[in-house]
Amino acid sequence: MNVSQMQPMSNKELEYISDCISNEDLLIKQCAAAAVVSQNPTISQAITQHIRTHEQHLTKLTGALQQHQNLAPTQGH
Amino acid sequence: MNSQLQNTDLLPLEDILNTILCDLKRSVREYTTATTESNCPSIRQMFTELTDSTLKLQGNLYQIMSQNNMYTAPTPAPRTEVSKQLQSAQQTVQKAQQFVQQRVPNMNAAYQQQPNIPSGPSKFM
Repeated sequence: MNVSQMQPMSNKELEYISDCISNEDLLIKQCAAAAVVSQNPTISQAITQHIRTHEQHLTKLTGALQQHQNLAPTQGH
Repeated sequence: MNSQLQNTDLLPLEDILNTILCDLKRSVREYTTATTESNCPSIRQMFTELTDSTLKLQGNLYQIMSQNNMYTAPTPAPRTEVSKQLQSAQQTVQKAQQFVQQRVPNMNAAYQQQPNIPSGPSKFM
């Protein structure tokens, strides 16, 4: 990511990231439940791939929090 | 009673997949809203990528469910209705073009001249 594009994140952005982390977490758990129940190998394989993608989403969202940590002001407004 | 539950799925696969499909749709909407309301360009870029990736997952799951008869295909729109909407759309296009032509008279000319207009100050001057 271009450093010049990095600005401190707003409260709204932080809330969206937090909500999206919860969504991804829930989707991973639901996919895991589907993978256990499924007896169709094609569906199981696709669902397992979905789990990997959701995990990548979580990594991306967490990474954004880490990258913006040092840019955030130390005192709230 | 417990042993009966162990031998039976708590929720059929079709219902679980339907729930996931609904949550993917909700997730796409949330990512789209987050994109439009972002201030930091790097965060906007991330939300754009996550919207696209989640849309792909939703499309992929829909295809799987459709192929396995877990999703009732929508009924096709009748031709009369499509023709009616097409006629209305053509009128809308025509009116929109007239609207623009009446207010921006040089627009067509500007488009035609565009290749001859330098794109900006020359780097070599």
